[in-house]
Amino acid sequence: MIKKIRQMPLYLVAIILLLFTGLPFFIMINTSFKSQLEFMTSPWSLPDSFSFSNYALLLDTNFFSYFKNSLIVSVISVIIVIIFGAMASYPLARLKFKLNTPLFLLFMVGMMIPIHTTLIPIYLLTINLGLYDTIWALIGPYVAFALPISVVIFTQFMKEIPKELEESAKIDGCGHIRLFWRIIFPLLTPAVATVAIYNFIHIWNEFIFALVLTNSSENATLPLGLREYYGEFTVNVPAIMAALTLGSLPLLLIYFVAQEKIVKGLAAGSVKG
Amino acid sequence: MKFKFLLLLLLSLFVIVGCNPTNTDVSSGGEDDTETETETETETETGGDDPEEVNLQLWHIEDGPSGEAVQAAVDRFEEANPGVSVEVSKQENDPYKSKLVVAMGGGNPPDVFHSWGGGWLEQFVQAGQVKEITNDIDQDIYVEAALSASTYDGKVYGAPVSMAVVPVFYNKEIFEEYNLEEPETYEDLLAIVETLDSNGIIPFSLANQSKWTGSFYLMYLAERIGGPDLFSEAFNRTGRGFDDEAYIEAGHKLQELVKMNAFPEGVNGMNYDTGQSRQLVYSGKAAMELMGNWYVNNVREEMPDFEEKLGFFLMPAIEGGQGEKNHVVGGVAPVFSVAETSDHKDLATELVKELASVATATDMANNAGDVSALIGVEYKDPYVQEIAAVLENSEFMQTYYDQTLPPELATVHLDTTQALFGLSMTPEEAMAEVEAKAKELLD
Amino acid sequence: MQKSLGETSTQKSLSLNTSTKAMRKRREILTIIGFMAPALIIYGVYVVYSIGMTFYYSLFEWSGIDNNFSFLGLDNYVRLLQDGVFWVSLGNNSLLLGASLLTQLPLGLIMALLLFSPVKGMRLFRSVYFMPFLMSTVAIGILFVFIYDGNFGLLNDLLGMVGLESLQQSWIGKESTAIWAVIATVCWQFAPFYMILFRAAIVGIPEELYEAANIDGAKPLQRFKNITLPLLMPIIITSAILSIIGSLKYFDLIYVMTMGGPNNSTELMATYMYKQTFTNFNMGYGSTVSFSMFIIAFIVTLFILIGERKRRGVE
Repeated sequence: MIKKIRQMPLYLVAIILLLFTGLPFFIMINTSFKSQLEFMTSPWSLPDSFSFSNYALLLDTNFFSYFKNSLIVSVISVIIVIIFGAMASYPLARLKFKLNTPLFLLFMVGMMIPIHTTLIPIYLLTINLGLYDTIWALIGPYVAFALPISVVIFTQFMKEIPKELEESAKIDGCGHIRLFWRIIFPLLTPAVATVAIYNFIHIWNEFIFALVLTNSSENATLPLGLREYYGEFTVNVPAIMAALTLGSLPLLLIYFVAQEKIVKGLAAGSVKG
Repeated sequence: MKFKFLLLLLLSLFVIVGCNPTNTDVSSGGEDDTETETETETETETGGDDPEEVNLQLWHIEDGPSGEAVQAAVDRFEEANPGVSVEVSKQENDPYKSKLVVAMGGGNPPDVFHSWGGGWLEQFVQAGQVKEITNDIDQDIYVEAALSASTYDGKVYGAPVSMAVVPVFYNKEIFEEYNLEEPETYEDLLAIVETLDSNGIIPFSLANQSKWTGSFYLMYLAERIGGPDLFSEAFNRTGRGFDDEAYIEAGHKLQELVKMNAFPEGVNGMNYDTGQSRQLVYSGKAAMELMGNWYVNNVREEMPDFEEKLGFFLMPAIEGGQGEKNHVVGGVAPVFSVAETSDHKDLATELVKELASVATATDMANNAGDVSALIGVEYKDPYVQEIAAVLENSEFMQTYYDQTLPPELATVHLDTTQALFGLSMTPEEAMAEVEAKAKELLD
Repeated sequence: MQKSLGETSTQKSLSLNTSTKAMRKRREILTIIGFMAPALIIYGVYVVYSIGMTFYYSLFEWSGIDNNFSFLGLDNYVRLLQDGVFWVSLGNNSLLLGASLLTQLPLGLIMALLLFSPVKGMRLFRSVYFMPFLMSTVAIGILFVFIYDGNFGLLNDLLGMVGLESLQQSWIGKESTAIWAVIATVCWQFAPFYMILFRAAIVGIPEELYEAANIDGAKPLQRFKNITLPLLMPIIITSAILSIIGSLKYFDLIYVMTMGGPNNSTELMATYMYKQTFTNFNMGYGSTVSFSMFIIAFIVTLFILIGERKRRGVE
């Protein structure tokens, strides 16, 4: 009993934080089921009848095409980032050579670059590559700007892997390639999870490159689509909220389905460290 | 020890920067090899040089009925020019501006593009990016004032489709309820503001995060005080400047309105494009809104029932001022222009002529509530008839400052006006800042 | 495609595998190149090249839409030092930076610690706490515009419900509150991310340490101070760097919510750069702002790293 009372403040803080993080979502989802009139007269109440008409409105648009584009771009980019990032980190973490630190810092510097200034050079590059207004145009910059943080994470993680593992493999006659793919890479799972989650979220939500490097509606990604709904539905707040809800749903679903795995992966990584 | 490495890194960075131009060719060449697979895939889309199939790009920002009018014009054009296809790309208003800059900078602009004429288009004209069409179009079919928005040094660089004027829209029901009449003098208007405010109704709805919305007030007040020549004198540097007494007085009058609670709470945080100001009018929380006549189009799309309550009047004259009630603020949009770098300038010019034709203007007038920039359009819509009459009877049209001035000066004008609304700047300070920038850019 | 490029060169290096030392050295170099080439090529083409171009452009007066480059040398940088708006935006960035460090990190830590407390329904808490980070910034911006609205805003309604009518106002419409409203939103978005980082690190703290402390009779607060916090220090430093860099180049929410207004009160370096480049047709000067942002972020990070080294050296 005493223990329970002692825990009261904990619960209080937990619930305040729950409201802080959750309330905007509640508002968004709740509003999305309302009619415009209902929203104006009673913004806070639960909807009279759960109406999916706002969602039906969205289905008439290119929503699924936006969704598909975002998915393709995000998945491909994240896979490339993981492979290239882990590969690049291997020499940085496990081998000693002269350019070791400068190269690592070169990647680190990339985290400090404001991406918006690179718009014009990258735009020109994209046109020269013949990729303008295709979703493939986005993969290059997404990978490039995701590499710095990924390399930093992978390198730090790889440094923690005990040298003995490697040595025993070397005695067995393993070359670097086999060593990397057979032994090191499988041990990276937690770091891979972190890199994948972090970058997937960022790439999924990226706006400004998508705006500049694609043009036609069929190549637009989800954030562009959301911005378009915002301009299009204007005062129809419930419809906008429906668009926001539907746009956020995929990531939320993935998270809820895989969260045990994600959290476990992250935790496992730290235990090793 | 590590510090040395950091220094080395900094140095290497500058080396990279230093040998940049050659560096780029090498690296992009390398990238080419690896991306060939996808390149061939897209070649069919981008290669528009095929002599038999000509592909033109058109960027516009028209929504709803106006967008349909543009599409109809494109259809007519494609029918008249077999073998030519037009790729129509509808853009969002705000992002469009930066997107066109990027496209122009990258040397890959659309063949035909939208603008508002004025200082914005002039930037591209000065950069040699816009084709002169003085002799390609029949100038006589356009309203002179409309065409002048895209004419620089007597050369025409764009063809206008529609025009707009800015009256005060108001809710007739609210006016009736409080026995208010359309104001004849500025004093009347102030009295209306007082009555509404004391009854808990916001007098003017305004969404001034968009900035150009608040600029309307300053333009009107300045014209009413300083007369129709005030702005052109300041802009052309031929007399009074932006720090003239009239401008300062206009600023004071504007802040007087703010202090009378004429505007909603937090005007500077509301965005016109997302309907935050109209929401107040539709819900009856606010009674008036100073806005271009596309307001009607907004109402029809968003809250059709409201149209019957909607009335409008012109900004009254100020006693002792040099302006008149029939001097209006207005502007031209859309204006269509041809990019200088287009591979098919002649065809693109034909497309512009079809877009800026009586047929398109008629569509836009009767479906979207726009006033035509072309002579000889018959108006069916009563609203448009009324607004067209206003425009016809007006003795002077003040074009929007933010579209007339060079963009950098326009930014200062908009920012300082927003600060006036926020009471964070005195009129003297605001006008001095605009004048200083004007001296830098225009003198 | 690029992966295969990397593999072929490393396969080549395999075939050169001999026992002599020189050959070994050579093999090592080839291995390094093989492993790093794919990442370095993409990174070089898109990032290094672009930042180089940015510096190059910053030396010119250039509108961005024509080929009239007039060389100014460092004049743009001199102009920058005298540009009031730039200093305002730098101030706002510092404010955002300070506020981010003081809100996001502690909040993230509190949330992470809560997840280890014996609170029931932890799964629910954890799920909801993390949700903001999953939402697209564009969506967050739009959502909070409605929440902060002065007339229909839900935050004002909420204040009304708990009897704080006097606080009701237009949160992003006033110069005095706008920056704080945006900062709160940024915090809302990113605190969950730090929560996840901290949570993972806390899991990694060996249980024995706590057990030993318990035997010594340490109070929870002492345990936190003496065990948890020191062991979390590396991840806290990493988080701080991420937060600082993020704050210095922040752009997205401002673009959606305030566009830098009212009256530049929420102007950040990135939004100012964007405005100069794309609204005012000053590509050269915009690049100057941008390159300066990069330099500032670089220097700040450098200081943290050096400080961190010193701290470790002392210990």
